[in-house]
Amino acid sequence: MTRSDEAPLSILQRRWRKFKTLKRGWYSFNLLVWSFVLSFFLPLAVGEKAIVARYEGRLVFPVLADFPLGPTLFPAHGGYLDAREFGFENRGLVDWRAFQEREFFAQRGNWALLPPHPYGPIESLLDDAGLRDSRPPHAPSAQHWCGTDDRGRDVFARLVYGYRTSMLFGLSVVLLSYTIGTAFGALSGFLGRRFDLFGQRFVEIWSSLPFLYTVIIVASIVRPNLLLLVVVLALFSWMGINYYVRGEFLREKSRDYVAAAISIGESRRAIMFREILPNALTPIVSYAPFALVGAISSLVSLDFLGFGLRAPTPSWGELVNQGLSNIYEWHLVAFPLAALFVTLLLVVFVGEAVREAFDPKPYSRLR
Amino acid sequence: MPHDEKPPVLRVRDLVTSFAIGDRRAVAVDGVSFDLYPGETLGIVGESGSGKSVTALSILRLVPNPPGSIDGGSVEFEGIDLLALSYPQVRKVRGARIGMIFQEPMSSLNPVLPIGRQVAEAVEVHEGLPRALALERAVEFLTAVGIPDARKRLDHYPHQFSGGMRQRVMIALALVCRPKVLIADEPTTALDVTIQAQILDLLGEMQRQRPETAIVLITHDLAVVAETCDRVLVMYGAKVQEVAPAESLFAAPRHPYTLGLFGSIPDPARKGQPLATIPGNVPHILDLPRGACRFHTRCVLAEERCRTSEPELVEVAPRHSVRCHLAADGRDTRAEMARANAEARP
Repeated sequence: MTRSDEAPLSILQRRWRKFKTLKRGWYSFNLLVWSFVLSFFLPLAVGEKAIVARYEGRLVFPVLADFPLGPTLFPAHGGYLDAREFGFENRGLVDWRAFQEREFFAQRGNWALLPPHPYGPIESLLDDAGLRDSRPPHAPSAQHWCGTDDRGRDVFARLVYGYRTSMLFGLSVVLLSYTIGTAFGALSGFLGRRFDLFGQRFVEIWSSLPFLYTVIIVASIVRPNLLLLVVVLALFSWMGINYYVRGEFLREKSRDYVAAAISIGESRRAIMFREILPNALTPIVSYAPFALVGAISSLVSLDFLGFGLRAPTPSWGELVNQGLSNIYEWHLVAFPLAALFVTLLLVVFVGEAVREAFDPKPYSRLR
Repeated sequence: MPHDEKPPVLRVRDLVTSFAIGDRRAVAVDGVSFDLYPGETLGIVGESGSGKSVTALSILRLVPNPPGSIDGGSVEFEGIDLLALSYPQVRKVRGARIGMIFQEPMSSLNPVLPIGRQVAEAVEVHEGLPRALALERAVEFLTAVGIPDARKRLDHYPHQFSGGMRQRVMIALALVCRPKVLIADEPTTALDVTIQAQILDLLGEMQRQRPETAIVLITHDLAVVAETCDRVLVMYGAKVQEVAPAESLFAAPRHPYTLGLFGSIPDPARKGQPLATIPGNVPHILDLPRGACRFHTRCVLAEERCRTSEPELVEVAPRHSVRCHLAADGRDTRAEMARANAEARP
């Protein structure tokens, strides 16, 4: 028991402390969170654009073009850079690897600093020195650790950028679908009566709509982008948490503290969101990691089937699909599946630790 | 102290509250009327299922609906019928003008919110004060209800308090907006006897500090009534059976049910003898006698007319009303009961 003179901890703070003691989940959580945060700086580590380059006394930061707002905020240094201004004959994007190579030998004081892995996710490498003489997909090599795909794009770059896409997609889907599901379930459970009756019948009808066909129809009308896919998937995956939250609200609303809150004149909205919701967080928080697993898997499946993200977007499912058409190229299947497996495993570890942290019994009998 | 010359702060008339049980309706409160005067403490006494808690909940319209519904009557607070108000209007009364204390201090506080916030919440809702000032008021009231070191304990959670301390927090929560009426629904039932006395003292102290505050104290404990109440309302079978000033009721109870209640208080002087009980059980709420005295099935004095006609609430002494044919006729029910009990006992 907590002594009364110690710093008071809310139940969520205590669960957070418990979660931190569960090492496997805690490390997985940190790994996922930090890798996701760092993935927004990915062009600094993996990409074809130089981070900094100097040409004839002019200092440019080409990598800014890969960051949102980069080109608009720094048009002189990070916007569109014409290759002719950097000593190339043709108009177009600067090939910084060629630039670096040329200036290294020319010794004119011009230089470029490229990311450690200087290949972009949507850049075809068919004309590159090592790959020019063979047909894609190329097997893994020292330059291309995971080989290239059937259009000669670097698989490693596509994998790491695909990680960012998958996580961004999964987290957005979970956030959106849990917001919808929680709000709907909360209203259903709290208001009860007709809203609950008809609301839940609507949920049942809605859950019986086949998700895949709907996505196929949507994909055949408009070309899906990340936002559209997130919205469509969220619209078809909020029903599960709705049931749990509805049940929590049905139970919690008959508790004495709710009657006490009503008796001091709190508004219905305050009672729903300030009084009951914090008490109904358990299923929301403990199912969220598994919903993330589901969302990421859905994206991979959709991409695999070709109804997912627009073509050049780096995606794991699309790589696996290439592996299906190039059945002898093991690297097209093994690497994306390994990436998927490790990611989902880490998320499941987090989910396991969350469940454990929310377990009211400090000691489990089954151990 | 009763203030008959002043208008009542709360005037309940013919209140009817029922619950749906299956496809039948159980009338839990059947035509209850009473007045509550400023500064008085009114006790509502009765067995479980007599309708006393539902009466209290109906005043603030806290009866869960469905299955419950308030079917008739009026609850006038300072001349305004609370039952006719819209939801937002009732909200302005709840907590601000009429406060409520619940039976279970263990579950009446939100387990995930610190107590300071919960007490301050009422002030924020009703007086629109910013959080910091509301917390100052919370400190003031938590100190007043006897929470030591209240400022430090604002951030503590309900699980860090004992039952008695939690009930103190609940009282602070109910009083923090300085309501005119405080409804206490069995505030001491879940507490240890020593803590019970402290909580009752606290309620008395609060009333001494703000003598205008009227308290409705719902309890099944006659000792609590004797200690704290100015006037007592005895309920049985969803109806008021006897209303009287506390001294009058304790000196000369008239209704056989009230007599039975007093008779079943353990008396150390009669140690070893079987404890007097009221024969039978409270009838199921769906099987309450109709067109008859509600108590006749368990009354040792029941006569034919008790089975065939329902008595009215009749004033038998100044401010002392009873719902009993026999008492209305001026018969000494107390002596008759004693005789009947003596005969029944070998």
